Amino acid sequence: MIASWLFERLKSYRDETAIVFRDGETSYARLLELTLTWHAELARHELGAGSVVLVEGGFSPQAVSLLLALVERAAVAVPLTPASRVHRPDYEAISEAAATIVFDDADRFTVVRHERTVRNALTQKLVLRRSPGLVIFSSGSTGKPKAVLHDFGALLAKFERRGAKKRTLSFLLFDHIGGIDTLFNTLANGGTLVTVPNRDPDVVCTAVEKHRVHTLPTSPTFLNLLMISDAWRHHDLSSLELIAYGTEPMPASLLGRLREAFPKTTLLQTYGMSELGVLRTRSKDNDSLWIRFSNEGFETKIVDGTLWVRAPTAMLGYLNAPDLLDADGWLDTEDAVEVDGEYLKILGRATDLVNVGGQKVYPAEVENILLEMTNVRDAAVYGEPNPLLGKVLAARVNLIEPEPLEDFKKRLRAFCRTRLPNYKIPARIELTDREQFGDRLKKLRPRTNAPGGRER
Amino acid sequence: MQKEVALDVVLSCLRNAMEQFGNGQEGAVGTDTVIVGQSAVLDSIGLVSLIVDIEQRLEADHGIAVTLASEKAMSQRSSPFRTCGVLAEHVCSIIAEEQTA
Repeated sequence: MIASWLFERLKSYRDETAIVFRDGETSYARLLELTLTWHAELARHELGAGSVVLVEGGFSPQAVSLLLALVERAAVAVPLTPASRVHRPDYEAISEAAATIVFDDADRFTVVRHERTVRNALTQKLVLRRSPGLVIFSSGSTGKPKAVLHDFGALLAKFERRGAKKRTLSFLLFDHIGGIDTLFNTLANGGTLVTVPNRDPDVVCTAVEKHRVHTLPTSPTFLNLLMISDAWRHHDLSSLELIAYGTEPMPASLLGRLREAFPKTTLLQTYGMSELGVLRTRSKDNDSLWIRFSNEGFETKIVDGTLWVRAPTAMLGYLNAPDLLDADGWLDTEDAVEVDGEYLKILGRATDLVNVGGQKVYPAEVENILLEMTNVRDAAVYGEPNPLLGKVLAARVNLIEPEPLEDFKKRLRAFCRTRLPNYKIPARIELTDREQFGDRLKKLRPRTNAPGGRER
Repeated sequence: MQKEVALDVVLSCLRNAMEQFGNGQEGAVGTDTVIVGQSAVLDSIGLVSLIVDIEQRLEADHGIAVTLASEKAMSQRSSPFRTCGVLAEHVCSIIAEEQTA
């Protein structure tokens, strides 16, 4: 039986709470009952081993038990959130979904059957192995979503080693590799997944306080919002043992503020990629941006300043793009890193690197400096085509209080002059009221690769 | 746009840029102040920032959206960014070009 160890364990947790959803508690026993019902429902629709099923929903008891049933049946799950609904027809076609199951806000569902058979060679290979599958759509840096196919069994295998039982907030989304990792890490160890209706800092803090949450897996962008919102001051967050952040580089100034606000909480940088799964890391210490990979079950190497990883949890491949793994199974993460002995620091995506008249700049470094300025709430730095220097840096900044652009420019440049060489000081400075992060609470930098493609 | 108005914008932005990027040399700026090349008051980053600032100022204060540093401007035999006076003329001619286009 597929992942039988997982189901044995879930059974053993019986009446303990698996999920808190809309403040209602669902026990492990109930979750497994629902899973049984799903087996009947899936059988009725002739969805069995190798069937691709798109699931639109969140971490509700029904949607989670459906995921469990799909794993147990060796089917292929394609999770999707309602926010990405516009992509559903595309995702159904790319993943060759045989059915779509949509959950509404009340956790009721509808099943739509499609007339499709799996033709993709990669999916066929997985089906022949009789392993369950997981398809994650990765937004990618070029805009067109890539469908990442995983062997779900291989992804889950790492949770067989027992970990601590924790109450964890489901901050990362249902269709995100980090969200799936959080879910199974929590369930495999008998913990409780505390879900939230949205990721407003106040809502998150309320849930942490009310349910005495231990672990908050999140993103630097959210942590910045959290610190600025002051919500953390108005709630008792003393239950928090661990704040984990991944998905983007952490600004040093923000890490410092977190350290002060949460002196007793461990701050941990994680490293996850849709293509790789989530890899265990250790931060050098709580206020350090340096991390070390545990290399438990995976290997890392640095090639020309870029991180490469070989892991058994790596994807089987893309369903709709050329294979990214080299012949030996190594994957180029495109993350530029600085190395110090066994520790390394993530500088940013090699694809975000801006070449200013021959000098290289990582936007994250400049953003981190801007975030240290008073009255700055958020900042996105990006390269803008320029006939003189090829590229120059542009900064789009959200202020806390209104301030005239001319005054702000003066202040910004005076601030940067003592901290950065001239070529790292933004030439274009703009103020904006629009938020500069997406629904994944991850920074969105304007992309201006085409000359004249500047957004106005 | 009248050349005097353009020159005012150029000089005002140049004063800011020198303060923000310059090598500390203060002093009066005028029509003949050299912006690029030898004896220029700004480095290349300072120059690019100055040009962007002028574009932003023209848009904010005069409602005119123009691109001053184009491939075409770069390929002119003598740089339209040589001095403040020449740059002010360049501003006027680019605006005139866009308005007739």
